[in-house]
Amino acid sequence: MSNLPIDLLVVVVLLAIALAVLRFVRGPSDADRLIALDILFAAAIALCAAAALYTRQVLFLDVAIGVALIGFVATLAWARLISRERAAKAPADPER
Amino acid sequence: MNVAGSLLIALGALLLLLASIGLFTLPDALSRQHAATKAGSLAVACIVLGAALVGGDTAWIGRALAIIAIVWLTLPVASHVLARAALRERAEATGSDRLPLFERDEKG
Repeated sequence: MSNLPIDLLVVVVLLAIALAVLRFVRGPSDADRLIALDILFAAAIALCAAAALYTRQVLFLDVAIGVALIGFVATLAWARLISRERAAKAPADPER
Repeated sequence: MNVAGSLLIALGALLLLLASIGLFTLPDALSRQHAATKAGSLAVACIVLGAALVGGDTAWIGRALAIIAIVWLTLPVASHVLARAALRERAEATGSDRLPLFERDEKG
């Protein structure tokens, strides 16, 4: 049994993580950093799947479920934080 | 190793890389959000489904379906909130009192 597809998955996901981290560092606005964080959470789920395939243990997919839930809540919380900051500064915003 | 599962894993990895490239080359925050969330959710679904096919057990497939359900239920909500935050941030940066739906920022 060859592990070639999993190795390919890990290499490509690491490349995607590098690009997302570059955007996270460079990103001109806070929203860009949040979007990069979203990609990082997707990459974390992919790496959990790779770990499950390497070790043949289904336990890592449970970890991936946890990562997916935490990623949702984290994205929501940070986006609300950014929006609320802006809304507090500009109270004339009609779509609060 | 399962051929269909391997193909799905490779496809998902390439989609994730594509989302990341889009994150890096597209001009403003809204376009980046569009690239990242849609391609990202499809990539995660492909990778997890491929892993389940390679694992080939009911435990794997059940957990994979749970992950796909969670991602596909929560990612539209997250991307909507992200887009709203990006729009509001840009409205503040340009100083307009309307939400700037059809403008691009020059910062890159």
